[in-house]
Amino acid sequence: MTGSLSLFWTGYIHAGDSVVTPFSLVEQYRKLSRAELREIFFGRQTRWPDGSPLRVFVLPDKHPVHIRFAKEVLGIYPYQLRSAWDRMIYSGTGTPPVVVESLEQMKKQIRSTPGAIGYIEE
Amino acid sequence: MCYRKAVQGILIVLSFTWMTNCGALELGLGDWQAHGFVSQGYTLTSNYHVFGQSRNGGSLDFTEVGVNVLGHITPNLLMAAQGLYRSAGGSDNEDFRLDFANLDYHTSIGDRAIAGIRMGRVKNPFGLYNDTRDVVWTRPGVMMPQSVYFDSLALRQAMISSDGGVLYGRYAFGDHALTTEFVVSEPLDDQGGATAFLTGIPNVQGHLEGRPLFVGRMGYEWREGRFKLLFSVVDLDRDFESKTPGLPSGNIKAFYPLASAQLNLEDWSFSAEYGQVTTVRSGFIPGGGTIENTSESFYVQAQYRFMPDWSALLRYDSFTANIDDRDGESTARLTGLPKHSFYARDLTIGLHWEFLQNWLLVSEYHSVWGTAWLSPADNPDLGTRTGPERWDMFSLMLSYRF
Repeated sequence: MTGSLSLFWTGYIHAGDSVVTPFSLVEQYRKLSRAELREIFFGRQTRWPDGSPLRVFVLPDKHPVHIRFAKEVLGIYPYQLRSAWDRMIYSGTGTPPVVVESLEQMKKQIRSTPGAIGYIEE
Repeated sequence: MCYRKAVQGILIVLSFTWMTNCGALELGLGDWQAHGFVSQGYTLTSNYHVFGQSRNGGSLDFTEVGVNVLGHITPNLLMAAQGLYRSAGGSDNEDFRLDFANLDYHTSIGDRAIAGIRMGRVKNPFGLYNDTRDVVWTRPGVMMPQSVYFDSLALRQAMISSDGGVLYGRYAFGDHALTTEFVVSEPLDDQGGATAFLTGIPNVQGHLEGRPLFVGRMGYEWREGRFKLLFSVVDLDRDFESKTPGLPSGNIKAFYPLASAQLNLEDWSFSAEYGQVTTVRSGFIPGGGTIENTSESFYVQAQYRFMPDWSALLRYDSFTANIDDRDGESTARLTGLPKHSFYARDLTIGLHWEFLQNWLLVSEYHSVWGTAWLSPADNPDLGTRTGPERWDMFSLMLSYRF
């Protein structure tokens, strides 16, 4: 009982079965820290360390995997992302991530787009 | 007339819906994308008019339509532009305008800091909401808190964007970040009747020139804005070149500091902003004197996300035209206008409902004491008629975006 409780509270692991984790095929991609992932998903970091463009993909705001990624991986509420992206869109200060409709589409887009990063459920 | 505009608005909404069913329009070239929104409002008031002839049946003369294009030329060089159509009764007759069109270059300094410069027509960074206040999706309700954001007064257009440059920076350490933005620009004070408003002389002939506008905003945020403190300042110092026969030229200074705080919890958001506007007018004042006035603006606001697609709003908003005459009594004696012309206290409750993906319906009820922020264009008899102190307003807005 105490074992499953502690699992529940461990950052990346949810309810003991599936894990939401960042996903990219970029060779420079390594295990990114939470702070680095926030820079990327909030749209402040727009290139990889070698200078090549970074492309970010996310699921719709209300998708359960998106909500888990925001809370468990980035440590924020999903509406904070939406508010930051809307600010970029409507004040001309950045480009928000591309929204894809499903996890299958997410994987497909990441495989076919150079410099892409998103997240998956394992 | 206003029904024709509303029908036009609804037709635009429908044609957008046919164009695209979800999300942004990917332009198929790097990260270039297009976004847009169409919002149609309905306003019903007692006693006074807001956004058109809003008494007896209400007004549909509140339409906001925007289309923007954004994309990176190189990973650190962004280009963005937005066209905006806005109509809001007598207080906004500008119709189409270029809202922003800017180039933005930013670079990293070490692991923790970024610095950038933005040039062109830029949004003025001011307070919690000014940067995106024409988009109902990003504001707390149909109407902004009027004490701080003055939608029905002629200063509005000059507050929103300006032509010049912004220097900005961000420094992060763990969950904490410090942000700063500084604008030097040519204000858009020749638009929307701002010259008449700033001089305080209705239908004045002449224009404003001289020193550029300064706008600054500094902030602290914890966990990407879960807690946020901002301090913003607008500093305007303009020479008025009179073209009105018999009226000498002069100078107008306006200084507007604003403090903002916001706490964002899972279901609740609490926001408050407090500011004072000090204006100094000289040169064109009868008798050659200087008139200095300080007004006060503040609101406190709670938003409650009680279901995934629903949120509720409660807000108290207060504007005082002269902090040395809070109940308006001495100004009323001097001008012959009712006391309540010099303040406005607005209690608002509202609901926000995203009933389908990319569709939003917002409604709210205002109980208002005082008439200080009512538009003289929509209420031409404001200076002669003695209306009541307390009045009601109901607003509804439907919006679609892609």
